[in-house]
Amino acid sequence: MIKILIVDDEKPICDLIDLNLSGAGYSCTSVQDGGKALQMIEEGKYDLILLDVMLPGVDGYDIMEYIRPLGIPVIFITARYEVKDRVRGLKLGADDYLVKPFDVVELVARVEAVLRRYHKADNILTAGDVTVDVEARRVTRKGVPVILTNKEFGLLLLFMHNKNVALFRETLYENVWEGEYLGDSRTVDLHVQRLRRKLGWEHCLVTVYKVGYRLEVPQ
Amino acid sequence: MKFSLKLLLWTVIVLALALGISGFYFVNYVFETSMARETGQAMDESRILRFAFETAALNVPAKYDVLADHTIEEIGHNLENGGSRRLRILDEHRQVVYKSPGFEGDDLLLSQTDEAVNTWQVIHKGEHYYVQTCMMADALNRVLYLETLRDVTEVFRERALGFLVYRRVTVIMLVLGTFIMHGIASWLTRPIRFLTRATRRMAEGEYDYRAKKVSEDELGQLTLDFNRMANALEENIGKLEKELQAREDFVAAFAHELKTPLTAIIGYADMLRSHRLDEEKSFLSANYIYTEGKRLEAMSFRLLEIMVTRHGKLQLQIVSTDLLFEYLYNMYRTNRTMGFHLKHDKGTVWAEPNLIKSVLMNLIDNACKASEPGSVILVRGIRQKDGYRFLVKDSGVGIPKEEQEKITEAFYMVDKSRSRSKNGAGLGLALCVEILALHKSRLNIDSEPGKGTCMSFVLAEGPGREGGEDRR
Repeated sequence: MIKILIVDDEKPICDLIDLNLSGAGYSCTSVQDGGKALQMIEEGKYDLILLDVMLPGVDGYDIMEYIRPLGIPVIFITARYEVKDRVRGLKLGADDYLVKPFDVVELVARVEAVLRRYHKADNILTAGDVTVDVEARRVTRKGVPVILTNKEFGLLLLFMHNKNVALFRETLYENVWEGEYLGDSRTVDLHVQRLRRKLGWEHCLVTVYKVGYRLEVPQ
Repeated sequence: MKFSLKLLLWTVIVLALALGISGFYFVNYVFETSMARETGQAMDESRILRFAFETAALNVPAKYDVLADHTIEEIGHNLENGGSRRLRILDEHRQVVYKSPGFEGDDLLLSQTDEAVNTWQVIHKGEHYYVQTCMMADALNRVLYLETLRDVTEVFRERALGFLVYRRVTVIMLVLGTFIMHGIASWLTRPIRFLTRATRRMAEGEYDYRAKKVSEDELGQLTLDFNRMANALEENIGKLEKELQAREDFVAAFAHELKTPLTAIIGYADMLRSHRLDEEKSFLSANYIYTEGKRLEAMSFRLLEIMVTRHGKLQLQIVSTDLLFEYLYNMYRTNRTMGFHLKHDKGTVWAEPNLIKSVLMNLIDNACKASEPGSVILVRGIRQKDGYRFLVKDSGVGIPKEEQEKITEAFYMVDKSRSRSKNGAGLGLALCVEILALHKSRLNIDSEPGKGTCMSFVLAEGPGREGGEDRR
């Protein structure tokens, strides 16, 4: 199981990330103090570290300096949105940069992406009779390849990563189409319907009334 | 056109006029004196000639009582002095009796001359100038006109030469004068150039540039005044920039502070609506939403307080210090994590009680945050000459010197990560300073890193000098 360390001085934020990443199948530990974080990094072995920049004790950039030689991927989480801060974080060797307030779905997706880059994530996702090879972008149903468009593939990944979670139309739109959702749900609906047809998910991919869709798989 | 060029041009024009007019007058004066002299000499010569003629006529042998024309001719020939003198003799009918060779005079003078009047004129023949004189001679009952011609070409030539020389001198003087005046003009206008440069540099945003003072005259004074104005401007601009920076920092800090609770609220709310959470988790989420919302509320209230204290007027009144300390005592009586030592002199202060309570609590909270649990926090009220001093002292981490100035800015905390575990919004001290400013007081910070901090302020005891101003 993939182990993630969350370093943020805010307990509510730590818990929020913890709950969501645990839900997505990761094992999380959280710590609120920079010094303690260093100690834990030294003792335990983590696959990914989510790091807040402003910490009591030792600050996030200092921790980053310490982590870099260890080769553990790091995602910075901070309220600072200025370009120079982002550049500084990335230059120090962070793998990604997430600005508060962030969307939980986005957080999960980014964690997934970084882990995949380090070949730590499971490249094969399954739900029911559908298997997805993320790296090869190959989708098969009962061993038979299914041809999906780019957007359909993006939607499928989002559902796979958030099983049994109601995904709002705006969330789907903002994450797959990467633009601001302006209230026009037809694009999303159309693609979801096509995905349903192609994968035979008429019963799994249920419509949540007035909200969006949910991929239901028995846990 | 440049000022120095204008100055130069006008100087050259005036110089040229002055030189020209004075030169003309001078040369002319010399000429006229010479001419007067020459004319005088010609007249004298003419008179001598007349005398000589009359004498000669008398000496003619009186064979006839009449002066014959050939006699006149003879006398005339004698008077010619061997050709060096040119003369003409005419009879009463103005008929030429004798004329020297080369006499080129005209007849204009004849009509104007009579017994009493001798006449002269200047005539111009070819390249030569002459003074022609004419006077009447009376010899043996004959009236004769005696004319002489005197060459004055030299005088005229001298005048022409004078003009020529003077023209050259004038041109040389003008050229020289132009160079010298050019130098003088640029030297005189130097302060103006410096001022112009300074103005331009300042307009380009270089507010610390100053004009160089190079003269002690009005322009020097102008430079001084300009620099004084520039100083005042720079100071004001600096103040404005600082204020603007502070405001921007405040907004940025506030936006930053907002993000953490917002992230939590949005995140947990999203979880509640998207996931089927069990009871424990949904309670946790709802609780976080509630507490983070409360935090936002507290922040917005604090912010509001700052806004109000910045712009509002407040009602000051006489407040007993017993009342204030009793309130503090009740507040912190139950707090067992710190050792509170409250002690005060009896007295009154001229203040708004709720705001002062807020200031004291803020200071005490800060002291608690800076101290290790269990250490002592000293709160004193001291009556002194200039008012009533409140003092909050801890023996905590202290504040480094370079931080002490910034500490009263909104959202500033010495530990840059702002240990939020101690539940501060970072607005406390900024608020205290604002409130104290309304009371015409200021916060004194006396701190040494590692040893502790002592914060104090003095309030007036009644509506005296300081307090009274607010009432009017």
